[in-house]
Amino acid sequence: MTPFHLHNKTILVTGASSGIGKQIAISICEMGGNVVITGRDEERLGETFAALKKNDGNLTITADLLDKDNLSDLVTKLPLLDGIVHCAGIVKPYPVKFLSEEKIFETFQTNYNIHVLLMAQITRQKKLNRNASIVFLSSISAAHPHKGGALYSGSKAAIESFSKVIALEFYSQGIRSNCISPAMVKTPMYEYAEKGASKETLDEHVNKYPLGVGTTSDISNTAVFLLSDASKWITGISITLDGGFLLGGI
Amino acid sequence: MDIKDFINKIETEIDEFEEGSLKPETNLRNTSAWTSMHALILIALIDTEYNVTITGEDLRTITSIEDLYNIVKERTRQ
Repeated sequence: MTPFHLHNKTILVTGASSGIGKQIAISICEMGGNVVITGRDEERLGETFAALKKNDGNLTITADLLDKDNLSDLVTKLPLLDGIVHCAGIVKPYPVKFLSEEKIFETFQTNYNIHVLLMAQITRQKKLNRNASIVFLSSISAAHPHKGGALYSGSKAAIESFSKVIALEFYSQGIRSNCISPAMVKTPMYEYAEKGASKETLDEHVNKYPLGVGTTSDISNTAVFLLSDASKWITGISITLDGGFLLGGI
Repeated sequence: MDIKDFINKIETEIDEFEEGSLKPETNLRNTSAWTSMHALILIALIDTEYNVTITGEDLRTITSIEDLYNIVKERTRQ
């Protein structure tokens, strides 16, 4: 039988109320998996839940992972997991000379700290089954930063290193950990960037993609692969998804 | 704040603009030194100094520093 499916697997998806996280939750269900979706916004999380293919094991838990008690409650409520996809994240560009302790804290809290704390509690409370697969959403900017990206690039580089540590500490249980590093993907975060940056700058950037900018399903298909047993020999790596952008030929 | 003060701040933060080189009617995006990095600096400067959020779209629609100043002034009042 093909290993390219998620039957009998239960996967936690954080940041599932919109964008990449939402599409990943939808794709997991389409491939036969059950999902536990979490996010801050109850209403939008409900919209994601309504968009899921109905599986008996699907679960929605509203939680603000920035809140310690919310995070602990979430972990307590979790069923045993065969996979986790860490999607929660923010992007706020600042030139270096305007960085402050508050700004560092804000980005690292959401893009790094909460994922680390979540993994700490989930593993401590033995919520991961053998052979589970962990996926972190990184970015090409972890290795190829951009102006204004001090915090975003730094936090993504940190999460890539963290993923490798997970791969090392848990391989004896068959647990794998990998990252997906996309370039520009059409999401609400993209729309946000479009408002923040100038449209000309963004258009100029987008023209450098041989295969165009990514869609959320380009990302979710890779997440499904990493969660499935089809990727059982892959751990500690990051898969770049960039439509050829880093070829630099355009 | 007044517009002179506002222009001073821009000249201080963006090294390519010498003191006294900018006027209220200057269109920043038409200056030879202008790059996308300056848009980032301008947005961060206004956020830090005036606690006002300026978008890339705002920067596209304005044609002078005075336009930008007026947007900041209006949003400070809100």
